Amino acid sequence: MNNEQVWKDSLEIIKVTVSPAIFSTWFSQTHLVSIEDLSERTIVEIGCPTSFAKNTIEARYFGLVQDSLSKVVGKKCDLTFMVKSNPKIIKDMLGEASPLFSVEKDEKSSLEVLQRARVRPSFTFENFAVSSSNQMAHAAAEAVSKNLGSAYNPLFIWGGVGVGKTHLMVSVGNSILRKDPEKKVLFCTGEDFTNDIVEGIRNKTTQAFRNKYRKLDLLLIDDIQFIAGKVTVQEEFFHTFNSVTSVGGQIILTSDRPPSEISKLEERLRSRFEAGLIVDIAPPDFELRCAITQIKAREKGVDISSEQVQMIAANTESARKIEGILTRILTEIHIKNVIVTNELIESMFSKSLETSGKISRSSPDEVVDAVSKYFQIGKRLLLGESRARPIARPRQVLMYILRTHLGIPLEEIGRVVGGRDHTTVMHAVEKITGLATIDVQIREDILKIKQTI
Amino acid sequence: MKLQVLQENLEKAVSITTRFASTKAQLPILGNILLSAKKNKIFISSTNLEISASVQIGAKVEKEGEISIPAKVITDLVSNLPKETINLESEKEQLKVSTTGFSSTILGIDPTDFPKVPNTLNNKNTIVFSKKEISDSLNKVIFATSVDETRPILTGALFILDKDSLSLVATDGFRLSKKVIPLKDSKSEKKTVVIPKGVLGEINRGIFEADEILFDLEENEKQIIFGIEDTVLTSRLLEGEYPDFEKIIPKESNIKITLDKEEFLRAVKLASIFARESANVVKIKILKDLIKVSAESSAAGSQETKVDAKVDKGNTEEFEIAFNYRYIEDFLYSVVGEEIKMEFLNSTSAGVFRDTGDSNYLHLIMPVKI
Repeated sequence: MNNEQVWKDSLEIIKVTVSPAIFSTWFSQTHLVSIEDLSERTIVEIGCPTSFAKNTIEARYFGLVQDSLSKVVGKKCDLTFMVKSNPKIIKDMLGEASPLFSVEKDEKSSLEVLQRARVRPSFTFENFAVSSSNQMAHAAAEAVSKNLGSAYNPLFIWGGVGVGKTHLMVSVGNSILRKDPEKKVLFCTGEDFTNDIVEGIRNKTTQAFRNKYRKLDLLLIDDIQFIAGKVTVQEEFFHTFNSVTSVGGQIILTSDRPPSEISKLEERLRSRFEAGLIVDIAPPDFELRCAITQIKAREKGVDISSEQVQMIAANTESARKIEGILTRILTEIHIKNVIVTNELIESMFSKSLETSGKISRSSPDEVVDAVSKYFQIGKRLLLGESRARPIARPRQVLMYILRTHLGIPLEEIGRVVGGRDHTTVMHAVEKITGLATIDVQIREDILKIKQTI
Repeated sequence: MKLQVLQENLEKAVSITTRFASTKAQLPILGNILLSAKKNKIFISSTNLEISASVQIGAKVEKEGEISIPAKVITDLVSNLPKETINLESEKEQLKVSTTGFSSTILGIDPTDFPKVPNTLNNKNTIVFSKKEISDSLNKVIFATSVDETRPILTGALFILDKDSLSLVATDGFRLSKKVIPLKDSKSEKKTVVIPKGVLGEINRGIFEADEILFDLEENEKQIIFGIEDTVLTSRLLEGEYPDFEKIIPKESNIKITLDKEEFLRAVKLASIFARESANVVKIKILKDLIKVSAESSAAGSQETKVDAKVDKGNTEEFEIAFNYRYIEDFLYSVVGEEIKMEFLNSTSAGVFRDTGDSNYLHLIMPVKI
């Protein structure tokens, strides 16, 4: 039986004997500080909230308390009384830090701490949008931040570019340091790690290197695949890994592919990575991109409507692209002093080559084939003169893909699509950009066609 | 118990102790006061289990003894008696009160149930302070204590006794007051206690006219005992960790403003008329040699007051900061001097407020985000 239970049972006995007023005045806030079990008797220390309670209980209810305790414990009890508030009550009432005291914490010390750990303050769980594509990874990272070193060790996050691996990893560092600035956290990339070793070897300071890495509570390594194929680096990392995890430290790694696919990775490292939790993050879906657009727009202070958010989300694939578009909008507003309109965003997509990222290498003819096959419209009809919607819409989609996906100049597209004017192409691209925002069907069409080419 | 006592003395003692008898307590004895006659004195005591009071008055004691009687009855009775000698005599659990042409019997309770109330100080540990100095300092500190019971430690004032100073600190998380009383040489080791504001308010209430106040800290009992003239007040100490206030006192500032207290107070009061309707927010804009105090409410209107000030703002261009006007008002009421000084680092970190006439007084207020 624990102390709490012993005292609760004794109080039940006392409650029966004394009047309710006496009980609530003198006994209700008492607690049991300690029980020392000697062979024949037991010494019990009782904490009372005030010295009045202590004196009164000692003087008037000593026998009663002693009898009831003896009954519960089953041995003769010796009592000592002291004035001490119930530690549980004090703890319950600590509450949240108030503004005056929290500011100091946030602004001065923690920024410094974050800098030392090379953790970017802006990457936190709060501004990480979660949907089905990254839910698993997010849950794992949160679990790690709550149970450092014991939940999943190591945590291995992999996925394509711009899906939020680094953000998630750094969020763990952020949340740990905000909770306890004393924790030793370090963020570095696989390349930093490599460079540090090389430097250590060159300057004969490998000991300093070891001190830096091996005594951490949380080690975050970005793009771990870079150490593959480097023998000494892998060996050093292996020992670092062991010494950090053996004392309960946490390791989080990110990579662009799962450990099993990293070539030239030593087998002992691979098996260690696979011993923890491996989670992947898929490219963001439309809704997640909307959420990311909103978060980033708010951070940058760009005021855009929800329709515009959808427009941006529908025409971009990754978080970095969204950031790029927003930066351009911001520049546009500042330099040209215009307000954000749908047209502005549309024109940005139809004009931009840079934002379309990697340009597919398929030839225009292949795209024409793919579109005609997808919509089941003959190639001649597609490139012909008909302006009926069932023909014209796929034609516009074709031009949109040629423009945004293949990055072909407007005139060239006009020539490919049955000798049309470049303004027709521009109109088509803007039209589809707008439609993709509101029409799920169009979005899906574009995605499926892109997959076939 | 049998004794004679003067009405004035008894009235004063009873009126002080009645304040600490708890009328709402479940236990009837706590609504009573205890009269106990010993040698040539009578001790009158009461407690609400947080604070206790015990007053001793001289009396002609014929027979020692003690009795506890309802506080309200004895207070009302004694205050209406003429100024002459009163005879008190106890018989079992009744108290007979009589003067010329008047006699009464009050029903009491067995005094053995009455909690033990300290009525003397332990002379060994006692430290003596000037009552005026303590009172003045409390006036500058107590108002900043918290009323929020969820963080009980902030509902008290922190007393730090060091070799050459006694520091009083109070905060409610939005503002902080600190007053240092220099001491000659207390020969004391460093001690830190948090005293509930209840008892401090009582010391300051003005019912005592003494020059000196005695402090006696009973660390084992988690209790502080004050001696003022013939009265002994005790209070329990608050347990818990007081926030580290030293760390939040700004070390530097970009903008320093010195201005007249009365003028500033008037401006804040004018602003408060409109601020009341909009979350109490008053904005202060710092210009070259004046400040603008303004407030607006969507329902009531807006206003702006200019106050002349000596401004030292370095390279800072335009600066505006907003506060809850109640906090500024509270601070200005606590200032004794005619001039105050404000120091700001930026519009999001705590502003430092000082009384230019009292370098030992420091007040911090957290600005409101605009």
